Amino acid sequence: MSGKRVLVAMSGGVDSSVAAALLHEQGYEVIGATMKLFCHDEDLPDRPCCSLDSVNDARRVCQSLGVPHYVLNLESAFGRDVVQDFVDEYSRGRTPIPCVRCNTFTKFRDLARKAEALECDWIATGHYARAIRGDLYRGLDHAKDQTYFLWGIARDVVRRLLLPVGHQTKAQTRAVAHRLGLEVIAEKVESQDICFVPDGDHVKIIRRELGADAPALQRGPFVLENGTMVGEHDGFARFTIGQRKGVPGGFAAAMFVVAIDPPTRAVVLGPREALLGRGLVARGVRWMCESPPGVGARVEVQHRHHATPVHAEIVRVDGDEIELALDAPLSAITPGQSMVLYDGERLLGGGFIESGTRASRRLELPIVA
Amino acid sequence: MAPPIYLDHAATTPVRSEVLEAMTPFFGARFGNPSSVHRWGRDARTALDEARSRIAACLKAQPDEIVFTSGGTEGDNLAIIGPWRMRRLHGRNAVVTSPTEHKAVLEVVHQIAREGGEERLLTIGTDGLIVPKSLTTLVDAQVAVCSVMWINNESGVVQDVPAIGAHARSVGALMHTDAVQAFGKLMIDVTVLPIDLLSMSGHKIGAPKGIGAMYIRRGTPFEPLFHGGSQDRGRRPGTENVAFAVGLAVAAELQLAEREQECARLGAMRDALQSAIMARVPDAVVHGACAVRAPHILNISVPGTDSESLLMALDLAGIAASGGSACQSGSVSPSHVLSAMGVSRSLAGAAVRLSVGMLSTDEDIARVCDVFPALVAKARRLAGAA
Repeated sequence: MSGKRVLVAMSGGVDSSVAAALLHEQGYEVIGATMKLFCHDEDLPDRPCCSLDSVNDARRVCQSLGVPHYVLNLESAFGRDVVQDFVDEYSRGRTPIPCVRCNTFTKFRDLARKAEALECDWIATGHYARAIRGDLYRGLDHAKDQTYFLWGIARDVVRRLLLPVGHQTKAQTRAVAHRLGLEVIAEKVESQDICFVPDGDHVKIIRRELGADAPALQRGPFVLENGTMVGEHDGFARFTIGQRKGVPGGFAAAMFVVAIDPPTRAVVLGPREALLGRGLVARGVRWMCESPPGVGARVEVQHRHHATPVHAEIVRVDGDEIELALDAPLSAITPGQSMVLYDGERLLGGGFIESGTRASRRLELPIVA
Repeated sequence: MAPPIYLDHAATTPVRSEVLEAMTPFFGARFGNPSSVHRWGRDARTALDEARSRIAACLKAQPDEIVFTSGGTEGDNLAIIGPWRMRRLHGRNAVVTSPTEHKAVLEVVHQIAREGGEERLLTIGTDGLIVPKSLTTLVDAQVAVCSVMWINNESGVVQDVPAIGAHARSVGALMHTDAVQAFGKLMIDVTVLPIDLLSMSGHKIGAPKGIGAMYIRRGTPFEPLFHGGSQDRGRRPGTENVAFAVGLAVAAELQLAEREQECARLGAMRDALQSAIMARVPDAVVHGACAVRAPHILNISVPGTDSESLLMALDLAGIAASGGSACQSGSVSPSHVLSAMGVSRSLAGAAVRLSVGMLSTDEDIARVCDVFPALVAKARRLAGAA
């Protein structure tokens, strides 16, 4: 019996519920846990994830399986590691990716520690990814693959990670939910957006955390790449690289946000071609694989969720900083987002994008529009 | 695995078989509405009146001084807001309470402040007792109601309600006590006690959840919160829950009949548990140990552990206990009671409340005396390794 106890992180959604049910069916001693990450009583009454109803759904699923369920209060750590960083990144003119930090710090570090305290040999989640012999691979259902958000997990945690739904499609997951009688959650809508951001309105969170007078929320200029001012915006935190919405019109070609400059509060605009980058610098790099690739190694890089990866060469490694030369240009390489490296299906590692460059160091090629 | 052990009697208790038996006819043949004129109505009304008299007798009160409620929270709401709404019209706009009260009192007082009343909080010493000086300073001629919990639900600390009530009344304030934990543990005789209002709850004493009672001394100004009927003399309209009222009366009588013997039994078990844990975890801290404590509650913190993990480990080992105040989602936050007693955040975050009661046996205690220190040692090893 010992050697088979598993702590399952349960959001109350179909994926983690089915994960728990499958492990229970396979004979594991399942303990369900729902993380309480922020206060439930205001702002967020109807979120598909993290709301009080979701906690109740997770508890009901556990009750129907006959296994214990606990609510873990990780509010203060989540506030520090995820929410604070989220607003700080926006005020630095970057576009944060809180799900990665939540996985890295909250779910697979803090929760993993709780699992140790409960003498669990394994921890499990409902992620679409596959953990095989200490390595992480893309979920079998590529449309649902979530490895893009999982690169920050420590290797020793991956070794005791179970991801039961990563080996099936979403449709199969729902079918399993029905087969196991988990009707409460079988057809639940997927969680969208960021769990702690009500109505996708991240500005509201920045205002709450940093105050309405935060520089990132003050008026600033729209400028072209040559410095010409072409209008005014009401806060650079409302913009991200590649964004078109909210950008002034009247140009020959459609204009996009190509850069954000916090010192001058400028949002820089350019045509679609100006978004293309051949080089990429990332920091905070962590390796998932046993022997990290070095300079000259060929990898595949993905620079946003659902983007098609491109081939690249590692041209520089300095501590946890890495520079890549891309074989094909990527559009809207966005500081603060993740770049994740793969070898086919296998996750090699990842990092936070520091910058994209028009030309790559290796090729020194001009942009071909 | 050995059968699970329930050490959370301060949270709730099972319905006693005598209570269930007494209630059963009212779910069947004796289903009448006490307000009806026919025989079914008369039968229900008789049972209700009898239950009211029996509960009154348990407090040495008059039957018309008893109001049935849905439990402790409703009783606390009625007992504070009801009189305040009347008395604020006569220059008494303030309410006084302590920071170690149950949320059912604290939130009511906050609500009164939002409605234009004045909220005054007494000072709590590190022993968990109200600092007398703050009482004499804060309870004055502007005060409508002073509300102090008799036995604290988390620490078990017993407040000197007779002395507090005597002072409150000397300045014309009404005295309310939340006696949810105290009923059946302390002798309550309203003919000699300087209190005007008291709330109690059924499910802490072997009656079902959803029933409680409030004592309102005759002549106490009171405005009801609900409107729409003359039940309970208009103080609490709505068709009475006859079955549960009967159950409450039976549970209350049993509790009083067994009081002395049961308190001695519970106190002995609690003390055995405390000394066994202290012997094996000498740096553990027992909260409220410097004051008079109720016999059934042990609130203890082990430095270097956290209550969330310890409670889960206890549950997995088959032992049911509680932490601070449980929030709606079921997660545990550091207790406001211990914080008010000056307990550090880390120590308050490690607090575990073990409460013995009707289900507890010496065998239970012996097993917990073994398991608790072992789990603590394991938790500390892991915390040290992290």
